[in-house]
Amino acid sequence: MSIEVTNVTKKYGDFYALDDVSVSLPTGQLTALLGPSGGGKSTLLRIIAGLDTADSGSVAIEGTNATKLPPQKRNVGFVFQHYAVFKHMTVAKNVAFGLEIRKTPKAEVKRRVGELLELVHLSQFADRLPSQLSGGQRQRMALARALAVEPTVLLLDEPFGALDAKVRKELREWLRRLHDEVHVTTVFVTHDQEEAMEVADEIVVINQGRVEQVGSPDQLYDEPASDFVMGFLGEVTRLGPVRLRPHDVDVVVEPGRSGSFPGTVTRMLRVGFEVRLQVELDPEFSRGDEPVSVVLSRGHARALDIELGSKVWLSAAVGAVTVPAMVAV
Amino acid sequence: MVEVSTPVKWLLRLLAVGYVFFLVAWPVTTIVREAFADGLGTFVDLFSDEQAVNALTLTAQVAVQAVLINLVFGVGISLLLVRYEFPGKRVLSALIDLPMAVSPVVVGLSLLLVYNGRDGWFGKHLEEWGIQIIFSGTGMIMATCFVALPLVIREVVPVLTEIGDDQEQAARSLGANARQTFLRITLPSIKWAVVYGVVLSLARSLGEFGAVKIVSGNVSNQTQTATLLVEKQYQSFDQAGAYATSFVLAFVSVLCIVVVSILRPKEHH
Repeated sequence: MSIEVTNVTKKYGDFYALDDVSVSLPTGQLTALLGPSGGGKSTLLRIIAGLDTADSGSVAIEGTNATKLPPQKRNVGFVFQHYAVFKHMTVAKNVAFGLEIRKTPKAEVKRRVGELLELVHLSQFADRLPSQLSGGQRQRMALARALAVEPTVLLLDEPFGALDAKVRKELREWLRRLHDEVHVTTVFVTHDQEEAMEVADEIVVINQGRVEQVGSPDQLYDEPASDFVMGFLGEVTRLGPVRLRPHDVDVVVEPGRSGSFPGTVTRMLRVGFEVRLQVELDPEFSRGDEPVSVVLSRGHARALDIELGSKVWLSAAVGAVTVPAMVAV
Repeated sequence: MVEVSTPVKWLLRLLAVGYVFFLVAWPVTTIVREAFADGLGTFVDLFSDEQAVNALTLTAQVAVQAVLINLVFGVGISLLLVRYEFPGKRVLSALIDLPMAVSPVVVGLSLLLVYNGRDGWFGKHLEEWGIQIIFSGTGMIMATCFVALPLVIREVVPVLTEIGDDQEQAARSLGANARQTFLRITLPSIKWAVVYGVVLSLARSLGEFGAVKIVSGNVSNQTQTATLLVEKQYQSFDQAGAYATSFVLAFVSVLCIVVVSILRPKEHH
């Protein structure tokens, strides 16, 4: 295990940013710390890097107890949301910083910086100042700077959070490819479940200072350990006693299967190949709940001849992922 | 920006220019005119007068030492105020502004009370160990440090706050220790604020009068600074000498500020 976090607790006043968190992150993988804002995931990353200290608990990196080590002794690369570029240095100097601190010979520094700028596609910008680069370019430079010191682990704190949607998507794919090339153990923090699902080998879901679930993207999506994980990783709707994904709701137009819920289509929206329905259950079943959301393919909806006001019967599809709905208080 | 009509615009400009002219520009130019009334002769006299040369040298010595001390403590206290949380931080911040609010004469008197050799709180003991503060260079440097204390700090603090500590943290994560981080990252970022603070401190230190007058004892050729000399010359009807000394003082201060505003890159305001 590359990073071993054991019983880490961090409090700000009365607020538990992390509450007795233990998690181990394997070597060579790309792991996402996923969770809502203020859930403690950035704090955990900063504690691993040594930029914050835990109130209790320990952190080990590649078998070395790093709990008491200052950041400069941990050999981690850290990439910040707002880039944290050294404004007064050129791109090449930024990337060279860690190497120069380590008193690497000049020729070696030059060679490494050349390689890294090549890797992040910034070779032609070597002599520019960071202020002359776009956000995406600055973040790639920050990544090259962090990789220059050949860190044991690479930590990224919401690395694409400050970028616009298109650049964000490009950089995300690029990070995945880069990781496949470089194979350094990488942990990144994100609140975007799509980003985590697309890029990560493994996802750690963190909410309210606790680890909700650890697993591959598929495991999390198919076997969510809790209501929270299920809700955070995709759309969820409630059908009677269970919560499930809208596309896992089976729709028929006559009463058939036992245990199906009768209702009426109150809204119908076509988006591309999908048809999204809102179904108001009959009063004896709905008990004043929200209408049920259902997603069908366009062809399926046409075959059933569903339109606004149609009477339908809903049930959970065979093999659907369901979790018990929380009892309303 | 709010649109104002042309006559109002001109009236406002006239007011601003007039205000600065009558308050600052005109009086200062009078000094220049009076100083050069007899051509360069007055300056030849001034620089051949031993007392004047001693006073100017002493002023330079005191000012430079006070500025160096304020530079080190100013940058240190700024870092403390911006980067660390500690009890009493707001009290410290308020105390730093105190020299701006208190008259230098009061500063001089308070130093006198604490450090004088006869009944001062510290002064007596220091005197026993052979350290004299009042009526010596040490006291004058202390008084000058006191009055110029906020100038470096008030320049550096906003810049430190603005740049944040992201860059410093990045440097730490890349292997730099505290000293390397300060020298390679923090200092270059606050360079111009420090330079500007130093220049303002220097200008202020050169011109310090009230506090220094009280703690120095104003002994010719020993503890008489240039500003004290100006007063003495003026009171003994050596107006030409007083104007010439004043001009030298003002010239050095203005020169510092002009040089820095020329050197300072445009994007830093």
